Amino acid sequence: MFSLAMRSIRQRPGRFAATLLSAFLGATIIMMFNSLLDTAGADGVDDTSAESLSTAAMVVGGYGSLLVFFAVASTLTVAVRQRTDEIDLLRSTGATPAQITRMVVGEAAVVALAGALLAIVPGMVGGRILLDMFQDSGQVADDVDHVFGTVALMSGIDITLLASVGAAFLAVRRAGRARAGRAPRRRLRTWGGYAALGLGAGLCLTGFAMGDAGPEAMAPPAYGAILLSVGFAAFSPALLGGLLRLAGGVLTAFGGGSGYLTVHGLRQRAAQLSGVLMPMVLFVGISVATLYMQSVENDHIEAAGLTRSVDDKNLETLNFVVVGIIAVFACVMLVNTLYAATSYRSREFGQQRLAGATPGQVLAGVGLEGLLLTVTGVFFGTLAAVAGIVPFTVARTDHVLPEAGYGIWAAVAGVAAAATLATALGTARRVLRTPAVETVALAA
Amino acid sequence: MFGRNERRGPAGPAAGSAPHEALRLVKVTKVYGTGGAEEAAVTALDGVTLSLPAGSFTAVMGPSGSGKSTLLQCAAGLDRPDSGVVMVDGAEMTAGSETELTKFRRERIGFVFQQYNLLPTLNVAQNTVLPLKLAGRRVDRARVREVLARVGLADRMRHRPDQLSGGQRQRVAIARALVAAPSVVFADEPTGALDTRSARDVLGLLQETVRVDRRTVVMVTHDPVAASYADAVLFLADGRLVGQMNAPTADAVAERMTHLGDMYEAGAPQSGAPRTAPMGA
Repeated sequence: MFSLAMRSIRQRPGRFAATLLSAFLGATIIMMFNSLLDTAGADGVDDTSAESLSTAAMVVGGYGSLLVFFAVASTLTVAVRQRTDEIDLLRSTGATPAQITRMVVGEAAVVALAGALLAIVPGMVGGRILLDMFQDSGQVADDVDHVFGTVALMSGIDITLLASVGAAFLAVRRAGRARAGRAPRRRLRTWGGYAALGLGAGLCLTGFAMGDAGPEAMAPPAYGAILLSVGFAAFSPALLGGLLRLAGGVLTAFGGGSGYLTVHGLRQRAAQLSGVLMPMVLFVGISVATLYMQSVENDHIEAAGLTRSVDDKNLETLNFVVVGIIAVFACVMLVNTLYAATSYRSREFGQQRLAGATPGQVLAGVGLEGLLLTVTGVFFGTLAAVAGIVPFTVARTDHVLPEAGYGIWAAVAGVAAAATLATALGTARRVLRTPAVETVALAA
Repeated sequence: MFGRNERRGPAGPAAGSAPHEALRLVKVTKVYGTGGAEEAAVTALDGVTLSLPAGSFTAVMGPSGSGKSTLLQCAAGLDRPDSGVVMVDGAEMTAGSETELTKFRRERIGFVFQQYNLLPTLNVAQNTVLPLKLAGRRVDRARVREVLARVGLADRMRHRPDQLSGGQRQRVAIARALVAAPSVVFADEPTGALDTRSARDVLGLLQETVRVDRRTVVMVTHDPVAASYADAVLFLADGRLVGQMNAPTADAVAERMTHLGDMYEAGAPQSGAPRTAPMGA
């Protein structure tokens, strides 16, 4: 079965592009931040430098790894789900469930490993750039050399591999259950979701107690916001279903044929869309939370009558760069997953066209769907972010909400909406170029 | 119920009066492949001309690669011919955008596929009304129920396609093709994936839409028994019409097909294909 896995990768490398990209980017980010730990642990590094480096690596590298784990896992879940036909075929040719699991998991492992190996050089370069920034900001002594060692290498490979293999295993097991006619159990997802929500809420609450602990007080609520995002993403199918119940009537009444297609399609596919919602909720949650917390921190320093020191400014820049990297990663994952999910639907679009839908109607349906996804994702991302922002704001100032206004939020939501709609519509447009009859015949 | 003796019953086109024309193809040609240096272009349709009157049931048969599916797709507006004219119900099919072609099809054409092509996310009733919804037409619930009752699925309206057998799915597809009251229903191997009994039901339904509703049905098939349900069979080889048989029986069709296969392999397609396929009487 492993040889079959290798063959299927060799024959159709393009199909693994989405998975490879997510593994590659994820591993790059993990290696980049964790190489700071290697650097800190090297001989001859003074204590202050080592502490700055390991704090940054622990805080950012920690939640970065968490984010990478979920992003890689969600891409892989989408990828496995798309292969139901092929898996059914193998099953009917006599493959046992264990063999199929070995094949899918084997493929995932090979692709994850390839992605992680490709990430080594970019991870080294990125790590060096990060170190330069720390040195420029004066937090790390200039004579410290960048080291890319076992911690960076092993954590990058391990986390990517674990996320890929774990997600592949769960997805293929779920597919098998559905085939056997048993209702897919979502126990793990449900408990994982509750755990993330509980832990996230707890961390956010500790934010109230942090008081004047300095800029590091940002870490627990930021972690909390991210965990809440993950938790909301786990429950997103149910949440999307609820939104559809509320908006479904209106959309079918005013959306015409496209609205009809969207509402009925989404109702059935709500579960599958969580793979797209996950990176979106994370993107919104992380960006909004960090940007507002930073603005609160700036206000706090001003309110205390202090002029911001060069260090404070450098810290802000660093914070923005780090969040920028994570946010861009989440955004790329959103685009990546949505692209894979949409291009997979060529057959469905073909069937809609054969039933009498014009290309414009298919596109309008996709656009409407993207809009609903964006609304759901932005809503829950915002909720998670607010849960982190409020405790931090209360602890640092005498307000409940930051004074920064809605501008930042609107910009983040705008980016999420633009990325979602542009990807979905662009991909659908490309898919629609194939004649409808061909898209339907392809699967035969 | 499937009595083939009823073929020339009262519902058939009135003898004597010039029957209304439902479908006309004039010199329709379709070539696949650009004919590059290595790859020879394949002529799927080579100047096919035919005319089918309203209320007729025609089967199109031919060996593999004879162009019968291409013929159906060009006639149904799912594929564009390289040259020639396709007229459905007196209106010429435009060579415009896919949107224009879709709107043309909505008004005039129903299609039944071998693989059903029902949307898996919609239930039986939703699949059936989909063409009306997409065309922005009013959905007459009584009419939908009537059409579904006709195909024997009135009690399955809330089922989804994956809860139905192949025969039931194909009957939903027929209901969907009929709900917009099209002039011509095209069926591409509609019984290709079905067992004998389900196939008989589906063919009986197609026959009934011709007899009772006076629709025109054009069906591509490779099965002589399926073809024997039609009023007439057109034989296609090498992209040309090479013969026709009125009031076909399964045996006669099978024999002609064997002969056609030999001829086709001998590489001598007969010239002088029939220009039209008169029906009835």
